[in-house]
Amino acid sequence: MTSPSPSPSPSPILILDRVSKRFAGHTAVDELSLSVPRGVIYGLLGPNGAGKTTTIRMIMNILEPDGGAVRVFGEPSGGRVHSERIGYLPEERGLYRKMRVLDVLVFLGEMKGIDRRRARQRAEAWLERLGLAQWRLRRVDELSKGMQQKVQFISTMLHDPDVMILDEPFSGLDPVNTQVMKDTVLDLRSRGKTILFSTHIMEQAEKLCEQLCIIARGRKLVDGALSDIKRTHGGHHVVIGFDGSLGGAAQVFADKGLVSKVDNYGQYAELELASGADPQEILQRLVTSGARLSKFELQEASLNKIFIDLVGPEAVRA
Amino acid sequence: MRKIWAVIRREFVERIRTRWFWIMALLGPLFFAAVFVLPTVLAGGGGIRRIVVVDATTGSVGARITQLLNDSRVFRAVRVSAGGEVVDSLTAEVEQKRLGGFLILTDAAVDSGKAEYRGSNVSGFATVGALQRTIGEVVSAVRLEREGVDPRIVARARIAVRLETKKIAGGKTTGETAAQSFSLAYFMGIILYTAILLYGINVMSSVLEEKTTRIVEVLVSSLRPFQLMLGKVLGVGAVSILQFLIWGVSARILLAHRPGFLTAGDLGEPDPVFQVPHVSGATAAVFITYFLGGFFLYSAMFAAVGAMSSSEQEARQAQQPVSWLLVLSFVSMFGMLNDPASAFSVTLSLVPFSAPIAMPVRWAAGNLPTYEIALSLGILAVSIVAVTWIAARIYRVGILMTGKRPNLRELVRWVRA
Repeated sequence: MTSPSPSPSPSPILILDRVSKRFAGHTAVDELSLSVPRGVIYGLLGPNGAGKTTTIRMIMNILEPDGGAVRVFGEPSGGRVHSERIGYLPEERGLYRKMRVLDVLVFLGEMKGIDRRRARQRAEAWLERLGLAQWRLRRVDELSKGMQQKVQFISTMLHDPDVMILDEPFSGLDPVNTQVMKDTVLDLRSRGKTILFSTHIMEQAEKLCEQLCIIARGRKLVDGALSDIKRTHGGHHVVIGFDGSLGGAAQVFADKGLVSKVDNYGQYAELELASGADPQEILQRLVTSGARLSKFELQEASLNKIFIDLVGPEAVRA
Repeated sequence: MRKIWAVIRREFVERIRTRWFWIMALLGPLFFAAVFVLPTVLAGGGGIRRIVVVDATTGSVGARITQLLNDSRVFRAVRVSAGGEVVDSLTAEVEQKRLGGFLILTDAAVDSGKAEYRGSNVSGFATVGALQRTIGEVVSAVRLEREGVDPRIVARARIAVRLETKKIAGGKTTGETAAQSFSLAYFMGIILYTAILLYGINVMSSVLEEKTTRIVEVLVSSLRPFQLMLGKVLGVGAVSILQFLIWGVSARILLAHRPGFLTAGDLGEPDPVFQVPHVSGATAAVFITYFLGGFFLYSAMFAAVGAMSSSEQEARQAQQPVSWLLVLSFVSMFGMLNDPASAFSVTLSLVPFSAPIAMPVRWAAGNLPTYEIALSLGILAVSIVAVTWIAARIYRVGILMTGKRPNLRELVRWVRA
């Protein structure tokens, strides 16, 4: 089960095939296709209003797509049919305020298809584990917001699902619960579970995701393994170290077809490539110019930078 | 199916755990008894009325009227002779609430049947009616005596008639009096109206709670919106049945012990309008059937209202059209009680929105052809299916919507989508 390989496994756990959703007046999701391999942490990234929540709701059968198909566990049906194997944390969270904590958990466990007795045992165990045992018979509205968030996590994982679908899981969490959530996600991942989560915070996605899909205005901009995306979209910066002789490097740097900006320190230079320029060509020309290189490195842009580069024009249009 | 069960159980358990349920369960019978008894007590004017008879007559009419008023349990009358400032000082007494009012009698009372009553509350028709009857009785007796009729004959002629009424049902004369039928019909109408409204609103606020806490999103990712709505309606329905059982049992206990409040006010003889009716098995069945029919019909509408609103205030506004349908049916009950067989009554008992109240009322008030019940139930059943179908479609879209309430055009689109 635990496959660290970032490349899609032959049987993806979730497939969207040209899925569309239109609301009165606008298209929220436009022919979106993506594929989530088994056992990875998958990020669905996009700015606010990109269609992330709508996409997740279609995966969960909360909304029906107007076009395209959702396949979960290889079957042509959405998450509701498989709800006992999927844990779902919606973006906007809430619990029955007047119910007792334990009763809420048992009820939500039942909704996921496990029987009352088991739901009860597991709820007790989880409450114990997250330090809420003495609150089990209290009403939900007597708990602090942070404790309610923990109860909400428990309700998502109570039935020990194979797949977790988390919509903006870190939004609104206090620092302690952010840590709990992060640890939980990593723990699930190490047990071979698949996690799909949406976010608009790139720093988190960069640290957690192995695979991702960036969408804006309902359309996919890019998807795949994080490392591949960084490679194809991140190679805009080159760092060069010289070993003594600079040779004809100055002429190469002056070629506007290759380099748009230079920051030259003498024995060290940072280049920003012109759009469409091939770093390999720069390397070749530097070598033939007689420069002695100690370092030639394509620097990875942060996911945040890639995201802004990709989404920026979209956002301007929006 | 197991998930629907869980929804039903949650709805049921959480509701009967609330204080409100038990307050309703225990106070319900008292409340309905009050609804029963209050109109009579209020119409009776609430106790003894102190009045003064200002006597300007030349014969014994004033004295006899005062005597007769004092014989009744309603008035305490004092006779004074008419004089210069009597009326003014009595007016002041009435003003200071020391006196209910005063009656001005002149010889015109006997001659042309004219008398005058001035009081703080001249619209109390029961008081005025009693006065009028008393004066009329004395005046007619005096007139007859003037014509030379023996006062003993006059006294004998005054004996009132008590009209006994019996209901014919199924070709047999039952022991049930018209008063009992009326009471039963009235009683059932009130309970049906109250219960359908109360539990319908319960469904609405339950839907609204899940919507505003957003918990609905987790729920509809696990079961279909229709299953959720169904479980909700059935759960609240089960609570209402339990409530009726408790009410039924406690009513039985209360009646068996004939508590003070039913005979309170020292009415002495059985109250002529309201009597404790006999509830047969068939009546109970009709009642429960139509209650459930009405509850399903209205709670589907209330569920849709809850789903399309985003806050309590919005829901309160949006539920008005639905409540009005119910209020209208309830109010027309009073018209139907006069003539349960009129075209008006028959129409109301066939229209699905009023049938749940109208049909049991007609059933209690008079004899009903079986085919009419069958027809009305048939129409009701079809309507429940149709209304639930529409409501479920509104529900499905509405529970995920936030922001402004949809207008009628959007609602139509939701239903068609």
